[in-house]
Amino acid sequence: MNCRSEVLEVTVESRQVEEAMLALLHTILLHRSTGKFHYKKEGTYSIGTVGTLDFDCDYIDFTFARVSSEELDRVIRKAVSEFKDALSNSGSDGMGQISLEFYQKKKSRWPFSDECIPWEVWSIKVNVVNLANEQERQICREKVGEKLGEKVINVVEVINRHEYLPKMPTQSEVDNVFDTSLKDVQPYLYKITYQITDSLGTSVSTTMRRLIKDTLAL
Amino acid sequence: MAHFDTEYQRLEASYSDSPPGEANLLMHVPEGAKSQWHHIENLDLFFQRISFNIPCLLCSKNGFTCMLLGEFFELVQLLFVVGFTVFLANCVDYDILFANKFVNHTDSSKVTLPDAFLPVNVCSARVQRYNNAFVIFVLIISGVFWLHRLVKFIYNVCCYWEIRSFYINALKMNMSELPYATWQEVQARIVEIQKEHQICIHKKELTELDIYHRILRFKNYMVAMVNKSLLPVRFRLPVFGDCVFYTRGLKYNFELIFFWGPGSLFENEWSLKPEYKRGGNRLELADRLASRILWIGIANLLLCPVILVWQILYAFFSYTEVIKREPGSLGARCWSLYGRCYLRHFNELDHELMSRLSKGYKAASKYMNCFLSPLLTVVAKNVAFFAGSLLAVLIALTIYDEDVLAVEHVLSSVTLLGVCITVCRSFIPDKHMVFCPEQLLRVILAHIHYMPDHWQGNAHRYETRDQFSQLFQYKAVFILEELLSPVVTPIILIFCLRRKSLEIIDFFRNFTVEVIGVGDTCSFAQMDIRQHGHPAWMSEGKTEASIYQQAEDGKTELSLMHFAITNPQWQPPQETTHFISQLKERVHREATGFPEAHLCPSTLASVHFGRDSYLANHAAAGVSDGASALRSLSPISSSLHLRGSLSVAHNKTSTMSKAMAGSGTDARTVSSGSSAWEGQLTSLILSEYASTEMSIHALYMHELHKQQSRGELSRHTWHRQESDESSDSLPEEVRSQPNPHSRNFPRSHTFPTTVASPSAIPTSASASRSKTIGQEGGSRGKVVRSARVPMGGWAEDGQAASRHHDPVPEESSEDEMPPQIQKVNSLCV
Repeated sequence: MNCRSEVLEVTVESRQVEEAMLALLHTILLHRSTGKFHYKKEGTYSIGTVGTLDFDCDYIDFTFARVSSEELDRVIRKAVSEFKDALSNSGSDGMGQISLEFYQKKKSRWPFSDECIPWEVWSIKVNVVNLANEQERQICREKVGEKLGEKVINVVEVINRHEYLPKMPTQSEVDNVFDTSLKDVQPYLYKITYQITDSLGTSVSTTMRRLIKDTLAL
Repeated sequence: MAHFDTEYQRLEASYSDSPPGEANLLMHVPEGAKSQWHHIENLDLFFQRISFNIPCLLCSKNGFTCMLLGEFFELVQLLFVVGFTVFLANCVDYDILFANKFVNHTDSSKVTLPDAFLPVNVCSARVQRYNNAFVIFVLIISGVFWLHRLVKFIYNVCCYWEIRSFYINALKMNMSELPYATWQEVQARIVEIQKEHQICIHKKELTELDIYHRILRFKNYMVAMVNKSLLPVRFRLPVFGDCVFYTRGLKYNFELIFFWGPGSLFENEWSLKPEYKRGGNRLELADRLASRILWIGIANLLLCPVILVWQILYAFFSYTEVIKREPGSLGARCWSLYGRCYLRHFNELDHELMSRLSKGYKAASKYMNCFLSPLLTVVAKNVAFFAGSLLAVLIALTIYDEDVLAVEHVLSSVTLLGVCITVCRSFIPDKHMVFCPEQLLRVILAHIHYMPDHWQGNAHRYETRDQFSQLFQYKAVFILEELLSPVVTPIILIFCLRRKSLEIIDFFRNFTVEVIGVGDTCSFAQMDIRQHGHPAWMSEGKTEASIYQQAEDGKTELSLMHFAITNPQWQPPQETTHFISQLKERVHREATGFPEAHLCPSTLASVHFGRDSYLANHAAAGVSDGASALRSLSPISSSLHLRGSLSVAHNKTSTMSKAMAGSGTDARTVSSGSSAWEGQLTSLILSEYASTEMSIHALYMHELHKQQSRGELSRHTWHRQESDESSDSLPEEVRSQPNPHSRNFPRSHTFPTTVASPSAIPTSASASRSKTIGQEGGSRGKVVRSARVPMGGWAEDGQAASRHHDPVPEESSEDEMPPQIQKVNSLCV
């Protein structure tokens, strides 16, 4: 696929899942968001500011910075809690994967819907463990905090590389690159999906979809 | 400075249209997406479409309009074939047509065609009444098929349109110069485009090899699998002997199973499924693959009647007219599908292959015609004589009075006699034909670049001819095979391919590398001599490949040379560059040892005749004769003449000829600079140079390979004597291999036989011996050169065993092997 993919793996206790996911997703989105664009007539624009906010975790010894946008936070919290519920309901050994995909839209002609072409995919693999006693939990709390700190540094390193980013769009195309629905911040277009281990293999529907696509392509 | 002053003043003035505070902000200018060609999702498909749409004169592809029209007419054809067949079956009153029944016409006695048609209501009634279920079934099937094709057609129209605008907007080629564009030029422009638009986001620059890899990802796998004899396309049948069966249907099924069908090995177009990259559960995966093959085989079996009917109808409608018009066309030959796979280099595009094979066509058919049996010729001559005299009389009578034609069966006998004569004539050799198979085979080799080792010096033998005919078959055989294909394909799938599932799984695991910016490709296609070189093909000492990893018949080396010559701008990795320059140097040295004027032929002559002991018998013919014969035969000489004439006309040529004779032909870049037609001319000439240069290199490499194998022969035969008692031939016999009466007919690996014939030629000896050993029990693997690289996944013993796939789990030592996917960094950097 013509896109970068990064994989992060974390091992957490079940009550830490939500916060750990929030920490990583928010960290990535913080670096992949800009202020709102204000376009001027001459084809120039100015960029608004992005406020940041420190967020203290309850179950992990960890504080992370996130964009101070309630709307964005709501969207991500919703996705994460869905993931958490699915994970706890699955009843399997507690493996799951949540992925954050940045994409670009490409306008196509009438009969087809717009193409979404991903350019970067972050997959966060979660491994949930059960701990026996309070002491272990305490150790885990610290260790997960350390681990998350490493991951955050890791994310920043990846983002600092000089690699492909969509070019800054003109006013008419801004919707193809950025998510402009939020009123205080403007992240790159993104999509959050999750998978629980059971369904990690290719499902029937994806196979069928690909079959149709392949026959069309060939 | 004044400018800045005014700017400052404007800010202070604080216009009301900007929000408060905004005036202090930095202003940005959007780069905008100037074109939509940044970051394309499926580059594989995109490049494929681009290469399909190259409408150049050099390749047989035509422009967009032609492609679309072609597809459109295919749709119409389909509709027509089905409709016409139903019509013929149900709506024609054959009694009237054959005049068994009289029409009661009032006005005239003539029977017209419309009289034979049944009225519409009768017709539809018959469709509904008669063999109701079958006709309806066929109609429904074809209707679904047609709709599918229609959707595909519409989809393709959109894609072509997109590619067309890519050509115009991004590659900046207008429609008028497009017909004169060559692939090289388009490719150069794509490489340029990447720097600007970054269509591939993983790396800053694309190399030629990246583009080729993407276009030919699956074809490279197929070539490699044929090269390693993995696909079950050769069979040993009781009556026909050794034969090859590889049809379009079979190929389609292979591709369905491996590459894109439901549950195939590939996850999407660019990556193998991760579980296939790990060695851990190979047995389980092999089982799964085997059951998939079984299901697909059964599906084929169920659909067999439909496909068969379709094939027959299609063949009938498309070939009957041709056969009637020129029956000789059935006797003509064509390169078989297997041949195209066997002769294809890694990373060779369709049009490159086709132009190469077409150049060899003439020589190849001459070669095949050398072998017409004298007995058959005599018979054919006489049959032609009798048929001819009958025909002559009939024609003379007809000319005298046309009524003769009205006599029953006169027209049909005239047609039959005509066909008979044409068929006979194809058995009568050209009077002016000289029997020189060895030279002819050389000329063929110059174009097709590959041949099994045991053909060398055996060109006059029928075995060689028969094997060559597997690559270069009669058109009639081709049609027949296509007709048989629906029946045979499921059998091959179920009984032959299924047994190989473990080998296939191992193949994909061991020979897939992940290249950044390209995805998973066949590692053979990297053309890395170190990993896949064959020591008998000049990569001695450079290669670290085990026998399992070596490409047979010098495929890696020849492909590398081919790619380097056709893409002079390509910068191979260090070692590879060294290999290429070394080889070029050697060829150049050889070439300059002779007078300039006779450059090509004399090189070839020296390559050909210098050491060929067989030709010593033909000493009367003489070297110079041979050379001149060769010159008249091969287009090499014509390109030489071209060059000669060009040197008078142009001053540029000096550089070109230098480029031609020696190292990298950067001269080809000239073509992009000049005007359309001149560019076309130059690129034509240059591609001619490239193919000539490649021919020389191919011949040189084959010759060197032969010498090397002869040199090693003594060692090997001596070595073999004590190690391999099952040898049924004497080494002396092997050594006097040019002796035409020698019983032993050495075979190379890619033309394997089930007879455990010891291969006398050590190039393939190692490979084919391991095969032989495997058949003998798989215990003697140590005879072979010890594996230098165990990363092939199999230890030598394991190899012999698993080549022949015993389902018994082995000492799963290799199961713990790490995944064989290495990250190969971009090659050009």
